[in-house]
Amino acid sequence: MDCEDVEMDKGSKIETLLKMNHVEQFVSKVLDYTSRYNNSNSYYYSPINLVGKYVKYPSYGDCPETYFLVLNTFLSSFKIKGHMVIGGKRAEAYQQNYRPQDSDPLEAEDYITLQFDSAVIPRDALHIRNLQSRCSCTDLGKDIGQDDTPLGTSMGTPPEMCSHESRKFHPQIKEINHLINTIRLEFNQSHLLYHYSLDAVLLAGYQPMSTLQYNMLVSGVVNHMVSVAAKQNDSENVCDTVSDSQDLFDNLPYEVIIHIFQYLDLKSLSQCAQVNKIWNVVSADPILYQNLSLKSYWYLVDCGTLEYFMKKCNTLKKLDLSWCGNDCVSVIEFKRLVADFLRRSCNTLTHLSLGNCKYVDMEIMEELSACKELVDLRLINITSYLLTINNLTKLVSLDLTCHNIMDSVLIRILKLNPNLKHITVDLCENLMALDQVAEVVEKHNKFLTTWSSWKVVTFTSEGIKNFGKCPYLTELDLGWCLMSTDPGDCLEIIADGCRQLKRLILSEWRGLNDHLLMSIIMNCKELTQLDLLGIKNITANLCEKALLMLPKLRLLDISFCESVRQDEVEIWRQQFPHITIQRSCQYLVNDYLN
Amino acid sequence: MHSLLVTGRFLSRAIWNGIANISATDPSVQRKTDPHLISAVCGFSKERKFQRLIKGQFGDDAWFTAKYKTADVLGVADGVGGWRAYGIDPGEFSLHLMRTCERLVKLGRFTPTDPSELVAKSYYELLHHKKAILGSSTACVVLLNRENNTLYTANIGDSGFMVVRRGKVVRRSEEQQHYFNTPFQLSLPPPGYQQDVLSDRPDAAMTDNFPVEDGDVILVATDGVFDNLPHSVIVDQLIKVQGERCAGRLQMVANTLAWMARNLSFDETFISPFAESAFANGIETIGGKPDDITVILATVAI
Repeated sequence: MDCEDVEMDKGSKIETLLKMNHVEQFVSKVLDYTSRYNNSNSYYYSPINLVGKYVKYPSYGDCPETYFLVLNTFLSSFKIKGHMVIGGKRAEAYQQNYRPQDSDPLEAEDYITLQFDSAVIPRDALHIRNLQSRCSCTDLGKDIGQDDTPLGTSMGTPPEMCSHESRKFHPQIKEINHLINTIRLEFNQSHLLYHYSLDAVLLAGYQPMSTLQYNMLVSGVVNHMVSVAAKQNDSENVCDTVSDSQDLFDNLPYEVIIHIFQYLDLKSLSQCAQVNKIWNVVSADPILYQNLSLKSYWYLVDCGTLEYFMKKCNTLKKLDLSWCGNDCVSVIEFKRLVADFLRRSCNTLTHLSLGNCKYVDMEIMEELSACKELVDLRLINITSYLLTINNLTKLVSLDLTCHNIMDSVLIRILKLNPNLKHITVDLCENLMALDQVAEVVEKHNKFLTTWSSWKVVTFTSEGIKNFGKCPYLTELDLGWCLMSTDPGDCLEIIADGCRQLKRLILSEWRGLNDHLLMSIIMNCKELTQLDLLGIKNITANLCEKALLMLPKLRLLDISFCESVRQDEVEIWRQQFPHITIQRSCQYLVNDYLN
Repeated sequence: MHSLLVTGRFLSRAIWNGIANISATDPSVQRKTDPHLISAVCGFSKERKFQRLIKGQFGDDAWFTAKYKTADVLGVADGVGGWRAYGIDPGEFSLHLMRTCERLVKLGRFTPTDPSELVAKSYYELLHHKKAILGSSTACVVLLNRENNTLYTANIGDSGFMVVRRGKVVRRSEEQQHYFNTPFQLSLPPPGYQQDVLSDRPDAAMTDNFPVEDGDVILVATDGVFDNLPHSVIVDQLIKVQGERCAGRLQMVANTLAWMARNLSFDETFISPFAESAFANGIETIGGKPDDITVILATVAI
């Protein structure tokens, strides 16, 4: 009996086998992230707050000392609320998955890569969070072996509901017998009622006690040792299931097989290619690879993958390489391949997304600007300058979140692309003269429907008035744009000119008052979302009018509006059950006592 | 009986602050050879009625002490009380300013030779708070650089610092005032009030640096202390803790200074430094200046 127990342990727990040290550690460095709330030099709400021990737990609330997670704020907040409130209808400018058949079961929208001081065999990853209600989260451990490739080991849990209190969150971890010092958390916020805020991340695990153990782990000897027993059992169970019945599938016409194959995801297609010669030929048909989205496979993509797809994609239309390639063994090689890929498909490519691809540089930008057919371009979190864009004339959507684009370049793009409908320039810190940009938009881009310039603070009310002449405008995100400047009468002009407005974000326009907002409420009857976060002067009277007079309103954000009392909000919540009223959690007294 | 209760409360508060601070500056955490500051904090709110007890705050005053591997940093800020008339809590601005400084130091996001940059960063950071933090404040930040044993200081307004070495004042800050009783101040006024509000840019801070020696005594305090305690009284107290390494004894002197300043601030017959200054400006007044009081007392250990 004793003997059996020992055997069990050997099979599952190498830390007991090798008598390793148990270690618990907080984050030492943030390596990479997809979303931030603030400008890069600010620490409020920023990812750097995850470094070290928690500071706010167990207080619950919206605190600037934690990492406040917002994906590309405009789109994501719409998406969140879209799911919750507006019946699954996403914002028009939201990026649909280019290959819906390849959808990731977790639908992760954000990630953050965290580094810890010492490498351990992970047994527990603890997230300490202050704010959120429902969220799913995946950890992807990363090996620190010689080649430093991600293991792609998913330690995911399905979304779950939790109460309104700060808590510690233990995702279940798959058994991994590698040393890990880097983890990646992926977030899916689609079930959230309010934003997600994370205070600290703790990685617990076992550390080798000697150099010998360390070398054994790195070289994979231990892993091999542990898995041998399991494999022996497996091999006995695997029986030959191949029957000699005739393969009727091959009798189908080629077109039908192609049609069936179109519903398969990339993994299944690659598996099909190994079945037999006919399947191999069919699964290599370029028609199956017109749209390519590798984002959900980011941990598997390397140079080989790109080469593999490059052979097959002759008529590539949509390409999504977001998150891919950063962890590649040879990033330079990968970058060369991406440039090559773009060059080959420059005549057909219409949609391109390169979110968080750190290696994007002038070379790739040049190839990109040769893609004349581009309609939809998304360069989120990319720092390389965009200069030679004279060939792009057909753009409809442009997303430059966190890009360092300059005014002159943006103006040139706007002038060259009269059909532009969706423009996102959130957190672009190099835009110094947004008033001029808005003037150009008003003159050249008559069909503008979405404008988002969240946290770009160089606007004045004169520039914002230009949007009043864009009659098709439905979504306008000007959060933090007029923080301490006088809004003047620009809202009146917008209310008069943009009657179709569905979503309006005016967060932190601290100079606003009831009178200035009334014109919006009187004229924009299509409004479904109104965001008034942090406006101190608006009163309960105005909120009540908005709730009563906007028939399509589904979401009203009055967080940090200090003139509105909580009990009034509670009454409205009962009176207008179809409208979600967002309200931040206020600080607790014990918060200050630490 | 009532006064006994009040006294008891203030004493217990002072002790509570002392304990909180001793634990924050546990000497065992540091190597003895590393240059560092040993500090003690004490202070009182001007209000006699019971108030919420918040760490890092005495009335409208706020303070912080923080350490990083390159430097030890102390700071005080005094919120400008005039904002109360506009429905704005004056303590909030100063508290957030100091807390943000503290956090920036702990995260290592500062230059260990430039405390004015730290104040500026902290000030601009407040703009990004979702809750509009409005008001204005003076600030004084003192930074001991561990690499070159030099004290770097930045001061905006009438809070200040004083360094005593072997019984002599070797350095003290100068007050920055627009006019009598109106110090330089950092401010974030409500939108629409920009023109009417005195606001100095963070780079208006007066900066200074000078080498320190083992045993030097540093006092960082708000105007509640400097306006009520005569210079000689302060120096007499500081001499007592020359070279003191024990945080407990340092705390006792800090308590004494704060307690004396508080008593004198309510003394209506005392000719305080504030009354002298008022007299020099043509205003006839006598007695102390009731104000919030914050004392940070530190000694240099090299």
